[in-house]
Amino acid sequence: MASMTFGQKTFTPTPPQKGSFPLDHQGECKKFMLKYMLCLHENKNKNSLCREQSRDYLACRMEKGLMAQEEWDKLGYSDLETPKNHST
Amino acid sequence: MMCGGQGEGGGARGGAGQGSGQGTRSTLYYIAALGVLTLGLSYAAVPLYRIFCQAYSYGGTTQQGHDAEKVGSMETVKDRMLKIRFNADTAASMTWNFRPQQREVQVYPGETALAFYTARNPTDRPVIGVSTYNVIPFDAGQNSSSTHMKRFTCQCSSTLTQSLPMIPKMENIDIITLSYTFFEAREGLQLPLPQFAR
Repeated sequence: MASMTFGQKTFTPTPPQKGSFPLDHQGECKKFMLKYMLCLHENKNKNSLCREQSRDYLACRMEKGLMAQEEWDKLGYSDLETPKNHST
Repeated sequence: MMCGGQGEGGGARGGAGQGSGQGTRSTLYYIAALGVLTLGLSYAAVPLYRIFCQAYSYGGTTQQGHDAEKVGSMETVKDRMLKIRFNADTAASMTWNFRPQQREVQVYPGETALAFYTARNPTDRPVIGVSTYNVIPFDAGQNSSSTHMKRFTCQCSSTLTQSLPMIPKMENIDIITLSYTFFEAREGLQLPLPQFAR
């Protein structure tokens, strides 16, 4: 690989537009992820039937500081109600 | 694409019929200038090509500069369904186990969806990964409000399994494949911090 990079500039990654967010090292939102995956599995991968679970996951991320706070309609969830405060 | 500009063999024709010293020298200057110009163009071609690809989403690169406000005003179109397939690759020398958590997701156009990838570092040394992504078919990369992708960088150490979420939104095409490829980052790579870095 070293020979291929002769003369090329170093690769500086550009962050994604919506921002990168840290990994869930402690697995704080893993429960919601699993709920979402289970829902997808049961519903033959139809996302429209599992939007509440994906919204819950994003809400968990925002609560735990793993994601910047965003308005729900900016994330495309304007049709769902704001989630109630849910327990971990 | 472009070669280095050698082999401009036909330039000597200017010498015939003119004062030999003057004619050949100016021809030589012309040839030299042409050579330098071609060389410069071939160096400039690399960033220019990259800019062109990003502007026109040629070859599957996605468009930068999406208007984030458009997400809020998207209407869900319920009369067709898109299948988004997920693909995960690593470079040959990259030791991670990187795979998508779901084979595909079915979404309506205008709907946001969540997808997960898992990356696992089975070695006992920290490995920093940088990824690139691509979208097939290529048209999906350039529709006006389509393929808003998050790219992520990951610092993973010591056999941790992490889930990396991302949100795509798509339009107009029935089957789209989103592909991420992870490379190992070289030493000294500066990673930009997220906006709310802690």
